[in-house]
Amino acid sequence: MTDTLQNREHKTPITYDIYLVGVGGQGILTIGELIAEAAFRKGIPVSFYPTKGMAQRGGFVKAQLRLGRATIGPAIPEKGADMVIATEVSEALKAVRYIKPGGDFVLFGHVWAPTAVMLGKAPYPTLDQVLGAARNALSAGGRVHYIAEESLPVFEGSPVPDNIFTLAVALNQTRLGELLPAADVEQAVRTRWKRGIERNAFAFEAGLKAQASGAVAT
Amino acid sequence: MGKKLMTGNDALALGALHAGVKVVAGYPGTPSTGAIATLLTMNPPGVHVEWSVNEKVAFEVAAGAAWAGQRAMCTMKMAGVNVAFDSLISIAYSGIVGGLVIYVADDPGVSAGMAEQDSRGFAIMSDLPMLDPSSPDEIYRLTQVAFDLSEKTGSPVFVRLVTANCSSYAVVNVNDDPPVRPERKPVLLHDINKFTKAGSAICMTQHRDLIARLQKAGQWIAEAGLNPLRLGKAGGLGIVVGGMVDSYLEEGFEIASGFGFNLSDTSLLQLKAVHPFPTEQVQTLLHHCKTILVLEELEPYIERGIYVEAHRSGYRGRIVGKLDGVFERVGEYGVSHVVKGIGAALDLQIPADLFQGKSDAEKLAAARPITVCAGCPHRGTFMAINAAIKKAGFKKDDVMVTGDIGCTILGMNPPFNTVSTEVSMGASLGLAQGYVHGGVKTPVIATIGDSTFYHAGIPGLLNAIQHQTPLTLVILDNGWTAMTGMQVNPGTCEQFQQSGDARLDIAKIVPALGIDQFWIVNPFDLDETTKVIQNAIKLPGVKVVLAREECTMPARRRGLEAGEVRVVAENCNLCKLCVIITGCPAITLGEDSIVIDNDLCYGCGLCAATCNLDAILVEGATV
Repeated sequence: MTDTLQNREHKTPITYDIYLVGVGGQGILTIGELIAEAAFRKGIPVSFYPTKGMAQRGGFVKAQLRLGRATIGPAIPEKGADMVIATEVSEALKAVRYIKPGGDFVLFGHVWAPTAVMLGKAPYPTLDQVLGAARNALSAGGRVHYIAEESLPVFEGSPVPDNIFTLAVALNQTRLGELLPAADVEQAVRTRWKRGIERNAFAFEAGLKAQASGAVAT
Repeated sequence: MGKKLMTGNDALALGALHAGVKVVAGYPGTPSTGAIATLLTMNPPGVHVEWSVNEKVAFEVAAGAAWAGQRAMCTMKMAGVNVAFDSLISIAYSGIVGGLVIYVADDPGVSAGMAEQDSRGFAIMSDLPMLDPSSPDEIYRLTQVAFDLSEKTGSPVFVRLVTANCSSYAVVNVNDDPPVRPERKPVLLHDINKFTKAGSAICMTQHRDLIARLQKAGQWIAEAGLNPLRLGKAGGLGIVVGGMVDSYLEEGFEIASGFGFNLSDTSLLQLKAVHPFPTEQVQTLLHHCKTILVLEELEPYIERGIYVEAHRSGYRGRIVGKLDGVFERVGEYGVSHVVKGIGAALDLQIPADLFQGKSDAEKLAAARPITVCAGCPHRGTFMAINAAIKKAGFKKDDVMVTGDIGCTILGMNPPFNTVSTEVSMGASLGLAQGYVHGGVKTPVIATIGDSTFYHAGIPGLLNAIQHQTPLTLVILDNGWTAMTGMQVNPGTCEQFQQSGDARLDIAKIVPALGIDQFWIVNPFDLDETTKVIQNAIKLPGVKVVLAREECTMPARRRGLEAGEVRVVAENCNLCKLCVIITGCPAITLGEDSIVIDNDLCYGCGLCAATCNLDAILVEGATV
């Protein structure tokens, strides 16, 4: 009846786990969906576990994406994520304990201040605190990839979608690109929306070249 | 078979369709909502799919269809079983004619709020079989099995999912060519011995029949091999795993192998049917193994059953689980629990920090209390309640405002801090009456959303009317069941009702109950809403205020805007009053004035109502 462990040969698959965090409305779940879709089309086993909580917009959002293993639970263990993708500075801290030593921590440096912070009634972490915590957890061999919000390229007068740009940076800067070629993900980006194809494609291409243009600091 | 990427909720919906389900009813509740949402989108011909008014009604709709000989299913989150259980246990006693599947989604780890209750307890209390699949692929297959089991035994069957499998996507092997099932003619049985509870003889006979059906289900499950058992080395470790945790085994075993764990020595019982208890298989395992490790989320139901069997067989080995303190009853399980359990059972030296990341970083993160969306009409109602309490001469803390389930509970958070209780669907009304009878002399206010009012609020209101208990009920009517992602409810406007459905109107229901102290207000009109509530709380008797304006999310999707809000920068002195009172996510602080994000702003104008410097203008309201 079940296909699980009773009669299976053991072989070590190529696996890759991604922990995504951000704020509802930033398109962080879309990043996960695009990778999941591209991996699925390529025949790579995928588990994608978005958690929206109660907030429609403006609340903490996380997602867990696990590639390469046919039988797998959707939750990534602490210290288990090959990569973290964070799209909000403070929320990035909530992913720190999930990063694997030696992994990659991709942070898009947007600050979405809660009301109490805006009013000066509650603290907000500094960028140095966040990057320091990430480096500390990554230990030797791990890398932080920081994308400053101001470095977003401009397409026809306005900054490109930050989630698509961040996704392309992540693909280009980490081992994920070896498992999942950028061209496959670009295909998923191009076929997802009917409108704004050129704009998204531009964002994606720019993200792939971001290191050379200085948009990403490691 | 074709491969598809889908959630466990999708897989359950598709499994039910491929099993020939004819009627599906449910009430939205995270994380179960996706199953009916998917079916409504698919709109399969010949299948009746509905959002019912509450879970009890949903269960009865499905059960009635099953009594008429059809295959039927109801869906709910775990809290919904509490609501449905009165009818559920009664129909468990009666048994069914066709096939009936009760889908319940538990939420270990509480990603959506409410009690972390374990629905397996309901299967035990009602003597009903329960399947507890792990992956979405297994959900698809076992949902179909559940209908077969139900029809073979004449028993309703639970399918229990948890947040991690019903809301996560994975690859599912879907039957591209599902069997075409002939249309069943409805049957009408008139058997009071089966369908009523009139008298002790009937009830006790039904109780015996119920126990016999469960036993039959156990035999059917054993013959179908739903719970695979593999025996390893005699005298070694035996693992019993239930439900979702099964999907973490492979990864956990690989890790534990690095510390001396040997999979081929290990015996393994994978429980996909968690109820009835698999007595024979557990006895086999107890005779074979010196140590038993039980891996199950939440309550130790399997573990307790194993203790009973261990006592009966004089077992002298160890049982590792929750009752010996290795695991706790709170929270979600993952890979780390598998590894930790193996380490404890085999006394392996596995480093404690293997899965312990640094949690000190999280303490630096800014608190992000969730609030209502930009443009949410509830913002105006909370602001008005706060203002009305103050203008009526009371301190905020001297007035009790009870809250209810749904988006309306967000009034508990800053900047409003308006409502103080959240219990269960409809509880705001009963609690408010209790405060009054408990001697509270200040005004007591109950707040409830439209869907929650239909679900379980109406009986509470009837009670207040009969007993003439002085209170003010504020119904926050946004026309949608919004917190769970915009489902249609009885009050949603006609154009979104399913073909042939009728719309109900709270504005007609309340006066029909004989309440003449009744007002309808637009919560975007802060002054008027405040005045009405201020007046209402001073009056005797039962008062009802209907604060009515559509949820901003579906309104926006149709291109609606409440108006256009513009900042007059030269008038703004950055006093921040608008931010302090509204907490609206569309407002940020600029260099010299506040800044309104035009993408987020719906133009409700509530910020303008707080400004005493004419720094915010509202133009061209269309609502």
